[in-house]
Amino acid sequence: MQLLETTRSHQSNLATYCRTGEYTSIPGVNEKHVHHYRRLVYNVIDDTLRSAFPLTVNLLKSKEWNDTVQRFFSEHPCQSPQVWTMPKEFYTYLDETQPKLLKKYPFLLELIWFEWLEVELYMMPDKESEFDGKGELETDLLVINPEHILQSFTYPVHLKNAKFITVTDKGNYFLVMHRLPESGKVEFTDLSPFLVRMLELLSEQPSTSDDLTSRTAADFSMVPDQELTDQVQVFIARMKEKKLIL
Amino acid sequence: MWRRQMWGELMTGIGFRKDFAEEFLNSEILLPDFIEVAPENWIGVGGYWKKQFQQALDRYPLFVHGLSLSIGSPDPLDLAFLKKVKTFLHDTGARIYSEHLSYAKCDNAHLYDLLPIPFTRDAVKHVSERVHQVQELLQQKIALEIVSYYTPVAPEMTELEFINEILNTSDCDLLLDVNNIYVNSFNHKYDPYTFIDGLPLNRVSYIHMAGHQKVSDDLIIDTHGQAIIDPVYRLFDYARSKLQRDVPVLLERDFNIPELKELQEELDHLRTIRKNAIYPKVYATA
Ligand SMILES: [Fe+2]
Repeated sequence: MQLLETTRSHQSNLATYCRTGEYTSIPGVNEKHVHHYRRLVYNVIDDTLRSAFPLTVNLLKSKEWNDTVQRFFSEHPCQSPQVWTMPKEFYTYLDETQPKLLKKYPFLLELIWFEWLEVELYMMPDKESEFDGKGELETDLLVINPEHILQSFTYPVHLKNAKFITVTDKGNYFLVMHRLPESGKVEFTDLSPFLVRMLELLSEQPSTSDDLTSRTAADFSMVPDQELTDQVQVFIARMKEKKLIL
Repeated sequence: MWRRQMWGELMTGIGFRKDFAEEFLNSEILLPDFIEVAPENWIGVGGYWKKQFQQALDRYPLFVHGLSLSIGSPDPLDLAFLKKVKTFLHDTGARIYSEHLSYAKCDNAHLYDLLPIPFTRDAVKHVSERVHQVQELLQQKIALEIVSYYTPVAPEMTELEFINEILNTSDCDLLLDVNNIYVNSFNHKYDPYTFIDGLPLNRVSYIHMAGHQKVSDDLIIDTHGQAIIDPVYRLFDYARSKLQRDVPVLLERDFNIPELKELQEELDHLRTIRKNAIYPKVYATA
């Protein structure tokens, strides 16, 4: 390390100013122009978070958003060298610090997580599926699209405009999000607990539709009747169309 | 010790951006010789953007221009990320890896922008030591770009002395961003031509050209959001003729993206200047 403490502290003072807006005098600095650094740096953070979390921006009052971003950036040292993954740190920061805002909007953290998952799934590295389902729906092995995420929420952040979510919406919500193989678009599907379990089993190994139905039913201490089998068939056909099941 | 790469005719490039990727790849409007990307924007990316990037790679040679190396930072180098960059350079067959003579991380926090390094003797030593470390790890030469800056920070020497000292003590190349020289000469009131005269031009391996925004009577911000202005073309022309050899030049346009036709016109303009500077000397009989 060749840097002297003086140089290091000047660099730190400038960086701190960019993060917090609090300026400590640095020799030689043009005090008329230095604010542009603060503005430019802050804009990168704000723009990146806004484009990752449009629903959250839409929900919060602008002061709430600005104060939260400001606090995040000044208190949290961003770790990712890749700015597009930085919004995940915003989620983690809010989860760890539990600001008052989360009391006012008890579903906010889930909303932010839902928005982040959309980004993550859209951007994540390609996952190759080892299997390929072909042929008759009833007999052939079903394979789940490996580019999926199963998620549960206590508020319907994926179903309802966040402005209208209240405590009375509290419950158990399940969904699967997946990336379409060709377009790369991200879709989500609302699920019942039965279907969640079924997709979990399917992600463990390819199965036939019948086998999958009976194993899932067994987990719920049920014996599959015709109605259940039909419902599963309809779901599987729909998911094949949506390319969640291949 | 480092092998200088062969450039062939890869001379006029464009920064590949998601904003225009689709139209760029599906038309014949914008035709650069190469493209440039920041590894930070593409490492670990799959899905739609990976496909687009792959299409671009299938068609164009790649130059890589990093953002997060933070060569002048008091913080240690992020060797784990640098290894990812190394893999990326290898996987994409990148022709060059350049970075900024600035810092973007401090107190263990990324700032995602380019802050000016104090022009001090200890910073010179610090940067050269780190250039050596980076080049050893990558097993290739890097090119460092002189960045635009809006204020000096505790300087002990001039900007030109600082850059020359770094190049004297580091075995790296120089990325000459002509627009940055223009912006800095305006902001810090010096003559950009004299500044270029004072640089070791034999070290220049790559040139950047871009537009900027004048925000007040005494300040220009390097936005990459406007077309290149004539004084910057003139400075480029001057640098080109002083170089006396062909060096690849890149058009940077990051914001406020115009019609691709306009970007192509800028590339054509750069090509004309390059030919006028080079052809009479190199291809006089062709
Ligand atoms: Fe540049």
